[in-house]
Order: sequence, then C-alpha cells, then structure tokens
Amino acid sequence: MSDNTAKAREIAKKLLQEGTVAMVLGWEKGDEPYVSAPTVIRDAADVDRLVLDEYCIHDRAALLPDYRDRSEKIAIFAKGCDSRGIVRLIQDRVMPRERLYIIGINCPGMKDPNEYFRAASGMSKAKPAEKAAKCLSCQYPNPVIYDEIVGETQQPRDDKRFAEVDKIESMSADERYEFFIKEFSKCIRCYACRNACVACNCRTCIFDETKPQWVGRSTDPVNNMLYQIVRSMHVAGRCVECGECERACPVGIPLMLFNRKLIKDVDQLFGPYQAGLSLEDDALPPLSRYRVDDPDEFM
Amino acid sequence: MKSFLQYLGIEPERYQLAWISGSEGQKFADIMTHVVAEVKKVGPNRKLREEHE
Repeated sequence: MSDNTAKAREIAKKLLQEGTVAMVLGWEKGDEPYVSAPTVIRDAADVDRLVLDEYCIHDRAALLPDYRDRSEKIAIFAKGCDSRGIVRLIQDRVMPRERLYIIGINCPGMKDPNEYFRAASGMSKAKPAEKAAKCLSCQYPNPVIYDEIVGETQQPRDDKRFAEVDKIESMSADERYEFFIKEFSKCIRCYACRNACVACNCRTCIFDETKPQWVGRSTDPVNNMLYQIVRSMHVAGRCVECGECERACPVGIPLMLFNRKLIKDVDQLFGPYQAGLSLEDDALPPLSRYRVDDPDEFM
Repeated sequence: MKSFLQYLGIEPERYQLAWISGSEGQKFADIMTHVVAEVKKVGPNRKLREEHE
C-alpha cells in the first residue's frame, strides 16, 4: 500500500501547488500503527502527512456537508463506498460536482481499527479480522465516480448482504422484538451513527429539534429503538451501505440490520435499486422521485 | 413501514393504512370497525411502550 501513499501525496501536492483545490480530505497516521485518522490538508508543504493504507476506513464524504456553505474546491479521497456517498450528496444538492476533485481508491477492503485496538489493549482476546465486517459483502470496491484513480481494480465480494436480515426474518415476532430491544438497550444516544452517515445530510436534523420534540431523548430501550426506526426510515432508499453507522457505533449495535431490511423492502416494492451508483436522473432514489406506477404499499 | 414494523416484532394488525376520501363516510366506518376488531383479536400492546418491562 505504500505505493498508494506515495501516489496520494504526489496527487495532493500537485493539486495544492497548482491551486486547483483549496483543501484535500484524506487520512494521516494516528498515534497507533492501526489508526489512520481523517485529516484535512490545506498546504502543499503538509502533504507528507497523508497516508493511504489498509486502515483508511473512515468515510470522508460524510464530512462534505460541513463545507456546503463555502465555495472553495475540495479534493477528496474516495473508496468505492465513499464514492457512492459522494454521488448521493451531489444528487441531494449538498455539493455541486464542480466543487469536487475526486481521487478514487480501488479498495481491497479495509481493516477495522477498533478491532485492532481491542486486541492490542487486551479488551478482547479475539484475533482482529483481515477485513472489516462492513467490507465483507462489498459490491462496489471500485469508485463509481472519480477524476483520478489509485490502486488496482478490485473484484466485488460475495453478495451476502441480506443473509443476516433473512436470519432475523425467520425468527418469530416475539423473538425479533426481544432481540432488537436487547440490542437497543445498549444505545447511549451519542448520534455517532447519524453523524457518520452520508445519507444524513439535512441541515436541521429532526433529532436536534426540541419544539416539537419528535422522539424522546432519554436513553431507555424504547426511545432508542424509536430513534433508530425514524433514522433508518429517513435514509431508506438513500443508504449506500457503507456500513459507517454500524462501525461508528461505540456499543456495537447491528444497525445495518435495519438499513438492509429497508433496502430489501425498497428492492421488492420498486425493483432492485442501489443508491448512489450514477448521476443520471433515473438513478435517483425511488423515494426521492415520483412515478405514476409507484406502488402504494410503502406506507 | 408495515413490513418494517413487522420485522421489529410488532403485530401487523396494529398498523394499518387506508386511503379514504372525505366523501366516503361508510368506507371510513367500515375500515375503523375492521381495525378495532383486528386489534381486539391481538389484545393489548406490550411492545414499544414507555414503561417497558
């Protein structure tokens, strides 16, 4: 991967020196070897901080809404999943395509720094996995949109996206309820899942509103679950399956079980659909556009 | 939404959606009677309540 780091620095340096972009969103080495922390480079002299290795798991696109009210051009490193997020942001008019210089990364799958941290600190005896959970059933390891590309083209992984959802669906109603309420009793309402999400790009989030307060803010299992029901319904059909919510969750709630269920429902009602694959008009999420033959059942 | 609530373990009878125009009084009455009958069948709700045991 060090080739990629060198290439990344070279590209970033050129862009910053020529003044094509005002900043580069990438990763730099953190305190530990297994941490590649998100970073912003504004000066060509700083490009040597940039790295591109197997721990660059964070989605940089989720930070783009922070720059929506400015006008400078931004270069951003994007893996397959991140690039789908960028497509979604462009479609949602958060960021015009012209303001972005996308440096695509053909991603072989990343390692989960959290797992390495737990193993290194002795919190967990399990050996860290070769690939992060979210990368295991990745269908789009290669960026769908880019101006420049780094790394070798990768093959999509086995499609096991709905395996876990099917498992839950085969349980009885009461078992399902018990399972979810148990998971959500762990939630501490830190909203990391929302903040890490590219689909969650509203200027004012309904969970921040207090007048009216839509969802109770106390951390009891029921309010936690209601929060997550509302959140996943809001991103239904717009989720790019980057798995960032689940990875960002400090207590390990399997949030993708919610997202994937809704993706499955959208697939069944509106026909197979995956968000953020193309900028064409007909690639808009089914719930963001209107067609005469839309089904009535979704409500 | 219905399928999603079912996934979470909520009885489908509790969440029903129908399209009724303002002029369809009889349809409204029929559907409400139907909903009440269905909900009575599944009994009181114990799920997703504030005072969760």
